[in-house]
Amino acid sequence: MAQIPNLDNSPLNLTALREQSQKDLLNIVKSIRGKKCLVIDPKLAGTLSLILQTSVLKEYGAELRILSADLLQTECPKVVYLVRSQPNYMKFVANQIKSDEPKGLQREYFLYFVPRRIVACEKILEEEKVHQKLTIGEYPLYLVPLDEDVLSFELDYSLQECLIEGDTSSVWHVAKAIHKLEFAFGVIPNIRAKGVASSKAAELLNNMQLEDPVNMDNMGMPEIDTLILLDREVDMVTPMCSQLTYEGLLDEMLEIHNGTVEVDSSIMGGQQDGKKVKVPLNSSDKLYKEIRDLNLHVVVQVVRQKATSIQQDYAEVKSTNTQSVSELKDFVKRLHSLPEIARHVNLAQHLQSFAAKPSFHARVEIEQIILEVENYETCFEYIEDIIQKQEPIETVLRLLVLFSLTNAGLPKKNFDYLRREILHSYGFEHMSLLYNLEKAGLVKKQESRSNWVGISRALQLIVDLKDPEKPDDISYIFSGYAPLSIRLVQHAVRSGWRSTEELLKLLPGPHLDLKRGVSSISFSSELLTGSVGQQSTDRVGHRSLVLVVFIGGVTSAEIAALRFLSAQEGMGYDFLVATTKVITGNTLLRSIIASSKEGMI
Amino acid sequence: MSSSVSVAAEWDLLSDRFYRRITIYSPLPWSSPATTTTSSSGGGSGGAGRLDLSTHIVAAAPFGGPIAAVRDDSKIVQLHSEPSRRRLLLFSSSGHPLASSPWTPHLPRLHSLAFSSSLNLLALLSDGSLLRFRLPDLKPIPSSSPVPLLPPASGGVADAVFWGGGVAILTEDNRVVVTADIEVDDPHPRELADPGVGEDEQVLCMAVVEPQFVMSGSPEVLLAVGDRVVAVDEDGVQLLGEALEIGPVQKMAVSPNGKLLAAFAHDGRLLVIPTDFSRIIFEYECDSALPPDQIAWCGLDSVLLYWPEVLLMVGPNGDPVQYNYDEPIMLIPECDGVRILSNSSMEFLHRVPDCITSIFGIGSMSPAALLYDARDHYDKQSAKAYDNYQLISSSLPEAIEACIDAAGYEFDVSRQHALLNAATYGLPFCSQFPQGRIQEMCKMLRVLNAVRDPEIGMPLTIQQYKLLTATVLVGRLINANQHLLALRISEYLNLNPEVVIMHWACEKIAASTAIPDIVLLEGLLDKLRLCKGISYAAVAAHADNSGRRKLAAMLVDHESQSSKQIPLLLSIDEQDKALQKSIESGDTDLVYLVLFHIWQKVAVEKNAPLDFFGIINARPLARDLFMTYARHSKHEALKDFFLSTGRLQDAAFLLLKESRELEKNPVASKGSIHVPQVRLIDQAYRLFAETKEHLFESKSAEEHAKLLRVQHNLEVSTKQAIFLGSSVSDTIKTCIAMGNERAAAKVKSEFKVPDKRWYWLKACALATVGNWDALEAFSKEKRPPGGYKPFVEACIDAGQKTEAVKYILKLTNSAEKSEAYERLGMHEEAKAAALQADNNGDELFSRLKFTLGQNALIDTLRDRFSSQGTY
Repeated sequence: MAQIPNLDNSPLNLTALREQSQKDLLNIVKSIRGKKCLVIDPKLAGTLSLILQTSVLKEYGAELRILSADLLQTECPKVVYLVRSQPNYMKFVANQIKSDEPKGLQREYFLYFVPRRIVACEKILEEEKVHQKLTIGEYPLYLVPLDEDVLSFELDYSLQECLIEGDTSSVWHVAKAIHKLEFAFGVIPNIRAKGVASSKAAELLNNMQLEDPVNMDNMGMPEIDTLILLDREVDMVTPMCSQLTYEGLLDEMLEIHNGTVEVDSSIMGGQQDGKKVKVPLNSSDKLYKEIRDLNLHVVVQVVRQKATSIQQDYAEVKSTNTQSVSELKDFVKRLHSLPEIARHVNLAQHLQSFAAKPSFHARVEIEQIILEVENYETCFEYIEDIIQKQEPIETVLRLLVLFSLTNAGLPKKNFDYLRREILHSYGFEHMSLLYNLEKAGLVKKQESRSNWVGISRALQLIVDLKDPEKPDDISYIFSGYAPLSIRLVQHAVRSGWRSTEELLKLLPGPHLDLKRGVSSISFSSELLTGSVGQQSTDRVGHRSLVLVVFIGGVTSAEIAALRFLSAQEGMGYDFLVATTKVITGNTLLRSIIASSKEGMI
Repeated sequence: MSSSVSVAAEWDLLSDRFYRRITIYSPLPWSSPATTTTSSSGGGSGGAGRLDLSTHIVAAAPFGGPIAAVRDDSKIVQLHSEPSRRRLLLFSSSGHPLASSPWTPHLPRLHSLAFSSSLNLLALLSDGSLLRFRLPDLKPIPSSSPVPLLPPASGGVADAVFWGGGVAILTEDNRVVVTADIEVDDPHPRELADPGVGEDEQVLCMAVVEPQFVMSGSPEVLLAVGDRVVAVDEDGVQLLGEALEIGPVQKMAVSPNGKLLAAFAHDGRLLVIPTDFSRIIFEYECDSALPPDQIAWCGLDSVLLYWPEVLLMVGPNGDPVQYNYDEPIMLIPECDGVRILSNSSMEFLHRVPDCITSIFGIGSMSPAALLYDARDHYDKQSAKAYDNYQLISSSLPEAIEACIDAAGYEFDVSRQHALLNAATYGLPFCSQFPQGRIQEMCKMLRVLNAVRDPEIGMPLTIQQYKLLTATVLVGRLINANQHLLALRISEYLNLNPEVVIMHWACEKIAASTAIPDIVLLEGLLDKLRLCKGISYAAVAAHADNSGRRKLAAMLVDHESQSSKQIPLLLSIDEQDKALQKSIESGDTDLVYLVLFHIWQKVAVEKNAPLDFFGIINARPLARDLFMTYARHSKHEALKDFFLSTGRLQDAAFLLLKESRELEKNPVASKGSIHVPQVRLIDQAYRLFAETKEHLFESKSAEEHAKLLRVQHNLEVSTKQAIFLGSSVSDTIKTCIAMGNERAAAKVKSEFKVPDKRWYWLKACALATVGNWDALEAFSKEKRPPGGYKPFVEACIDAGQKTEAVKYILKLTNSAEKSEAYERLGMHEEAKAAALQADNNGDELFSRLKFTLGQNALIDTLRDRFSSQGTY
């Protein structure tokens, strides 16, 4: 199975989108004749593996290298840098170029910015005095399909940039990427946004349409009916909860990178030689598509059923000689699914080794107590304990953030106490981390009463599970907690923001309801009357497409919830998710921790 | 057929083909009505309206382009009423003056004039330097000082041949220098291989095969030296046509397709040879052995030779045609003929196209001729019209086609009408004929007639027009300041009018120095509105370059694309507005662009960083972006910013960052890095302490500094460099693990470590080093403040089952007990404990049970598959 997902079943023609990205890249490589060394930044190299087989690049005479602080070792007379527009990479590039000079190497240098050239980066190249030596271009990769229903803007730091640094570059990027989508699929008529960044992105999108209009004359109906933009800031609670779906757990425990997990080959049934294998995870794998969004224990049952039925077939084949050829054929066909079953048996087993631990149970339990805002003391002591026994700092912070969010902060005494315990346990270098978390409102002093209980009731976030095998609500995702973000999407899709106005005011950031006409764009939040539900019935048999954009990241569990929603009977729409990044609570916090420690935020 | 006869009577037969000479413009005014009266202004070529080709150096651009002239000061001239100072004159092909400017005195002698393909006027001076002038105002570009094309000490220009994109120069010392990029600001002349001209030899004439006709893509220069011809290029010299024994060549011309050469030999023969000199295609013996003044190709079929008063047209067969002129003329080769400029007229000599001979040829009975005749009869209401129609009914389409084509070749509007009328007469009888053809022709003719008007003076033929393309024609009209016509043509042909309006606006600004900004703005906006998506920023940039900054500021306000607007706002010093707009645009890259600009202008050039801080501090996005950038590379500036804007805590954090960086790059000062580090932390502490909101941070910084000192002392006393940089907890653990209880206790009390944490740390440290006795003793010191959990976990983590059980028994919480047993794999005990817990009604716990678990189940599954290749 390939790492590059099959996109044929996508509700939008994402294949064309990906092919364009392939073509753009190949054109760059082709335009530089002869042998060349293609130096790609490490993050981008991973992203590109979702777009094309890197071996294709080699066919055009490109030698591949990963950009790092080390000097470049190559014989090629031409060096092509393909890097995202980040200042730290510019220093690497400059150093590599400058090191060639004393060696008397005469090379041609090209630098392609992804997705576009940035003054701040070029400034560094100028200061390093290498700008003159470079031929500069752009590779406009704004969006990558991760799967048939998930797009990523590949902006790892969007949340901390928006929330802590005040750098809204990612908001512009998101708007630009959506505008580019509109050129291919038509102007999206309905926009609903919640949060500072999302509202800004909606506004930018409108400006872009004014400055550089999508010509709607020679396009049919817009393919995307509604755009819902949500800031991660609006719901920081959900990513702090432990994910319990198969895919969510894979991401939490093993970390999914560019649609693959890397595990010891022994886990996948291979030799115990310490080698790692990459396992691709996307919906091209039929079984994975079926089980990715299920609770882990249901996954185990499904996999078991499949295995047993094959086993029974096998027994039949062995015991009787009466099968017809076509029956045998059927059996052999089913045998082909064996590697898939085996793969997921192995992975699920590996996950169980984490998830079955009592400490994991305890953890999920305490999360539930925090979500229900019960028993403050128990929660406080639990957090105190894990700090004092020096559990990984992101584990601690995840719970602390959750605790602070649901309680609208901690009483000053507790706040200062826990902060001091953290600094004593993990080192004083985390002072700026605590300061940043406070600035972002993630861990703070209590100043007002918490409205979490109100929000939670109004949106029915805490739901008692009836039958976990046949869930009827998205709350199955977190075993009784329905993710706030997805509840908002449910409301936005059903009736727009209007019905939830009062509630939305309790959550951070402004909200926005836009209706964009076919010929002229009217900017009014009052115009919206019809709901998506009604529109979808206008066209018989047509399912409307809703693009849900998360600025600041989304978890696999939330994507699972959206998939669950669109699969419900009577639902007239499909969801396409676009996110700055697929995150887990850990990856999200880890980057804040690292940047704070380095003093970069 | 009377009309047809009169048409054909003007034709001349050369072998089996007809040629005709059309007078396009006559007489040529050479002056505009306005300037004739005020000759003192010197606008015209001498108020009398006269231009004598024989006393001027003249150049004319192909494709009906303009004519440039400068009086030739190497000739003795009688000045009539002209001013004595020489002027550079520019006329349209119809002799209307377009511009003139004084010829800079004291320049080296002018060798020749020529037009480049993008219609810049080139003037080659005898020392080999080049002047270039822009049309239509003859402004020198890029500057009024000539660009040298020849290497020094080459002796100046002996001969030169221009083509559209360049010039080949033969120097006085017989070297060849070619400049193929004559349009760029600093052209790159290249010297070709040495042609090897002997001491006593002379170069008789030269010609150039243009680069587009040469395989190598660089021009080839043909030189007639003595009695041989050589081809010179960059790589070498090739002797041509020895076998042909042509003898000394006096004059040469390369055909329009670059394949043939017309050469006039010393014995009066005109030879036509392929440029590779493989054979003689034909030769003609002239009456005179005197070389002609001019030689030119007329199309690909005939060669024109001009001696004063005689113009001879020689074709491959038959007698040549002779024309007589009593005044000097100039041959201007075109792709489909030759224009003949004289003092009084502009003519066009070309081969009569086949469609026209078929209609107007004497005695022609072609279908087209009959159709034309039928129309004539029809107009006269004669029944013969129908007879004609019957004769040609089967070949009607060709007849219509020919009439339409013929109309295209005519300059005479009434004849165009007659021919098109003939075509439309046939049309109703011929339903299959493509309807668009005639409209297309009408469209083209309307454009052609419009530009041929003497006021415009661009005598384009239809073939030239097709070759030139409508877009280039519009460009030429704009450059001749014929904006209205250019706009009309653009609209008529559905071309984007942006380029016309843009140029108009720029010219308007340049020409309106006296008009106040606000009035001019209205005038400009009126026209700019005509074109959607036009770049106001580009017009504004031009206004700024023309010294009208205020106008530029007003114009740029109308630009809708921020990426164009903002750079311009910066260039006209509207920094505040630029910053404002960039923030509104939401494009952080534009904000950075403005920030760097203002930083350079204010903080660097004016040396006023505080002003810069003031500007950005009022705008959150600008401020935050500056901070983000400065964290990477402008630390000091960032610190200044924080301090000057009262963000003391941020400055303090920056100091802490610096202290950590010291840790990363230990300076060679042995073991005492903590001293500068502590100093920085102390500074940070003081900054935090300035505001009461940061009490926690100030205390922490204080503690941090203290910790570093304590750790330093520990390292000194233990002689182990393992403490610096670790946390308080880790320091305690390390001490205990090293068996140094006293030091640990001291740290505990100095940092007021709570008992609960102390138990976790000590239990963990003792278990890590396997000191179980000490652990047990510790557990018995007193009742642990947080229970026995730390002991249980320390033992389990260390894998000590028996030790762990000791402490599990002391646990009070049943759920915790169960969990601990489970971790040790003691399922029975775990179950028993869990039952107890369940009795306590722990509802959550049971809820989670079905979520997770099922460990055993999947194990069995795994076993089943373990034998197969799984991945």
